[in-house]
Amino acid sequence: MEQSSTSALLQGTVLDLASDVVSALRSGDHVRAGGTLTGGGAGEGVARAAVRVLGADTLLPTALLRVPPDPGQLAVFKDAVAAHPPRDDAAPAVVWSHWAMARALRRLEQPLTDPLADDPGAEPGAGWLDDAGWQLLTHQLAVLAPLALPGEECAVTRAARRRPVDVARGFVRAVRRRDWQQAAGAGRWLTLLDGVPDSLGLEAGLDFVRLMGGSDPRVALQLEAARLMPAGVLL
Amino acid sequence: MSVREVEETALEWVWAHRDRFALGDDALAADGQVNRTWKPLGELAQVCASVSACTPPSDPVHTRVSDLLDFAWQQTRQGELFLLMQSLEPFATYPLEVYAAFASAGRRHTGYEASAAVVARTRGWRLTEQYPTRRLGVIEAERRSGLSPHGRVPQALGRTWLGGLPEPWTFERAAGYALTHVVFHLTEWGRAAQGVPPDLADYLRHWLPPWLDTCLEARMWDLSCELLAVAASVPSPPDPAVLDDAWQRVAAAQHTSGAIPEEGAVQDAAGSADGAAPYAFTDCYHSTLMAAFAAALTTARLRDVDRAGQGVPG
Amino acid sequence: MPSKDKVLEEVRTENIDIEAALDPAEPDGVFRDSRECAALALQSGGTSLLLSPPTPRPKKG
Repeated sequence: MEQSSTSALLQGTVLDLASDVVSALRSGDHVRAGGTLTGGGAGEGVARAAVRVLGADTLLPTALLRVPPDPGQLAVFKDAVAAHPPRDDAAPAVVWSHWAMARALRRLEQPLTDPLADDPGAEPGAGWLDDAGWQLLTHQLAVLAPLALPGEECAVTRAARRRPVDVARGFVRAVRRRDWQQAAGAGRWLTLLDGVPDSLGLEAGLDFVRLMGGSDPRVALQLEAARLMPAGVLL
Repeated sequence: MSVREVEETALEWVWAHRDRFALGDDALAADGQVNRTWKPLGELAQVCASVSACTPPSDPVHTRVSDLLDFAWQQTRQGELFLLMQSLEPFATYPLEVYAAFASAGRRHTGYEASAAVVARTRGWRLTEQYPTRRLGVIEAERRSGLSPHGRVPQALGRTWLGGLPEPWTFERAAGYALTHVVFHLTEWGRAAQGVPPDLADYLRHWLPPWLDTCLEARMWDLSCELLAVAASVPSPPDPAVLDDAWQRVAAAQHTSGAIPEEGAVQDAAGSADGAAPYAFTDCYHSTLMAAFAAALTTARLRDVDRAGQGVPG
Repeated sequence: MPSKDKVLEEVRTENIDIEAALDPAEPDGVFRDSRECAALALQSGGTSLLLSPPTPRPKKG
């Protein structure tokens, strides 16, 4: 009971946070992105956990629109990275989403100072993606959608670039299963990949996912990212 | 369980239940159920014709499907019933479509072909309103029966769902059945991969895997088997891993009698009543035929690839 | 000194299974096909019924 109500609180906060990001991406107004974090609605711990779950996309308006982050929001983001390091036995997606957050800070020239880390920029391995069938590949890439950014260069983006047809198949599968979150995440990756078959109809596909699942702010976030992607130029 | 075992046990079931494909009096009755008489017999004939064509004469499976074809041809009284149907329902297309399956296996009736040609020359026949996929099937049936096709394949193909290269994520059951039949018609039911134009071949190579995967997840065994038949009929078959996974899932759905239920709901309805025949004939005959058809094409394909020395695992 | 609420909240946060949220399993697929009803004003499948006499009703009493 305690656990489930807390999980529900976390889930709700993640959705609020995603809504903030969507608003910011749509309006170009970065301040609104901080609403949930700076408004004092959620408790500190829950807010931090929610930022960790939404991951690097919490700072997506900063990355795609190149506006400076809100200082309060940035502070919570740094706290979230520090407070929720991956466990030793963490799944690769968990390790990578943490890496993506640290990467986002490095982009802002706000690297974490962790005296224990030998090389804070060192990449985790991505061998699990090379071994994965197209279904698992797409699922994992959708979970790691915050890494789908123009100009991003890491083992995960390289794995995605090697298998555009497989990711496109995963998109078809996700739409067929009505898994809108996975479809939106895969769709965001596809906007970045060369070699996606034209017959996929990606643009209409993204519109369809918005129509069917866009009321979920986590879905809307991925679709907004996909919309801004071609114009976005990162470092 | 191997693809070959799925094929053999499915054909065992068909052989054991061949009397259920027999034509009774209602096949000719005005109020008879065509979908319960001519349709199953035509499907039996078509599957046996295809399996026979892709199996070496020395293979026991070849003997089994030849015997089934003889049985089915006897049901039509060596083609006489087609002539009779022609006089009863001159503008129906289904007798010609069923006949074409027999004709493709060398069972022909010249009197029927001559009388069918008279009707097929009319504007009314050419203008019969029907789904684009069905139109393609009738054009092919005319060709296989020695008649002049009433239209051209590229034009008919262009009107179908598959021919228009739709966004693959718009696939649903009805589109799936339409596309499998388009491929069956284009390839003469698995005999001629070159009948698939290159753009369609690319399209199918890209999108068969997610369609197959989701149909199997939805336990749509019948459509899954049809998609597997398509996969074995196109110029470039899917990755062996995709096929292995799919065939394992189909094999797991096959009852020990060899029957494969149409879909998961049929299995749920049968529950744990795991007798010798848990499914009604109408709930499993088509999917069982399609499994045998797809398995035979897959086996033949793997054999050809092996012979070509490319060493794809079976 | 932190308030009691604050302490409680921290304890709760630690209990959250954040790993599950970070690497979620796929939800079950949802499959339902779009249907089509017969074209409007097309002859009903029960046309012949309209031509037959009405089914006799049992008389009351």
